[in-house]
Amino acid sequence: MIWLVFFSFIAAGIALSLARAGLGPTTPDRVVGVDGTVTITIALMVLLASFFDRQIYLDVALVYAVLGFIGVLAVARYLERGV
Amino acid sequence: MRAFIGFVALSLIAVGLALALYHIPFGQDRMDVARDYLARSVRDTGAPNVVTGIVVNYRALDTLGEVTVLFSASLGVGMLMTWRSPGGGRPLPGASLIVRRGAGFLFPFILLFGGYIFVHGHLTPGGGFQGGAVIASAFLLLYLGIPGYLLARRPLAAIESLTGITFVAIGIIGLAVGGYFLNNFLPKGSVFSLFSAGVIPILYMVIGLKVGAELAGVVANMIGGGEE
Amino acid sequence: MIYIALLVVGMLGAGIAACLLRDLLAAVVAAAAVSLILSGFFYLLQAPDVAMAEAAIGAGLTTAIFVIAIRKTGRHEE
Repeated sequence: MIWLVFFSFIAAGIALSLARAGLGPTTPDRVVGVDGTVTITIALMVLLASFFDRQIYLDVALVYAVLGFIGVLAVARYLERGV
Repeated sequence: MRAFIGFVALSLIAVGLALALYHIPFGQDRMDVARDYLARSVRDTGAPNVVTGIVVNYRALDTLGEVTVLFSASLGVGMLMTWRSPGGGRPLPGASLIVRRGAGFLFPFILLFGGYIFVHGHLTPGGGFQGGAVIASAFLLLYLGIPGYLLARRPLAAIESLTGITFVAIGIIGLAVGGYFLNNFLPKGSVFSLFSAGVIPILYMVIGLKVGAELAGVVANMIGGGEE
Repeated sequence: MIYIALLVVGMLGAGIAACLLRDLLAAVVAAAAVSLILSGFFYLLQAPDVAMAEAAIGAGLTTAIFVIAIRKTGRHEE
């Protein structure tokens, strides 16, 4: 039952940030939407590791936590003509 | 008109695929090979991660082929682009303080994490390819965070060549000792300990360094070369 | 089941957007979203090795390489 509440919140967060990424009039809006989705997906992966009861699955969440910002950084540096 | 014809053709292909796949039951294992691997893999290879056991032990020759394919892709990018400093002489605007300091601060930790992924490839999810991609991302972070950064070319080429030679040398030693290429000739040790599973950790370290060097070379070539 | 349907709809929408968008930078962002949801699917199907490969390649490298290629060529299609 408690899992249903958790996953509902996560699903609402993913839906809202993906909606911002889809609607966003300018590209920075879309980038921020996708970045928010990345962050919520990290939380989803941690929750699912607890749900499946497999601690080693946390490594995948760690990869996203360490590398998730590089794509956003690349787009941001492009927008300020720094690449 | 062309778009309409393309849409109709794609729809026909989709309907055909759906009709063909409809008859295959989903989620039941009908593969004797898979069942055999699952039953025997830990005993044969000593690696608790069955995927690693298959990729680096049973199918290690295919992995050598994959690394070679990645090498030729890196070579192709290197032939098209040249290895120069970013911007090609154009002065780049400096990154903000947070990005510069953050890139310098995070770089060793990302390298360490990549090393962890491929050293522990036989115990936890991940392996050489994943760890190599993480290491290349660390160098990409330096390129993005520090304007004018240029990766040294010779050490990278040396790492790539040495690891390729080591991979083949391990295979040939296995051929001499056990009778077939890439034979697991080292003792398997106890399952779930770091130094176990014979040559699998060594091979994954080699693959991780090679993939990391190749992808970092692709990034360095892409960011430096070409016309504006 | 509803959550899986939501993810499938999001992934299909992002993929179609990546094909149709004329602004190539936005298309690259949409492709990054496809990679993210695909990695989540691999994770849900309990294939952490593949999920980690998709995460390591898709999170930083492909996006950055596409952005560099856009910098070398041009941002808008046609």
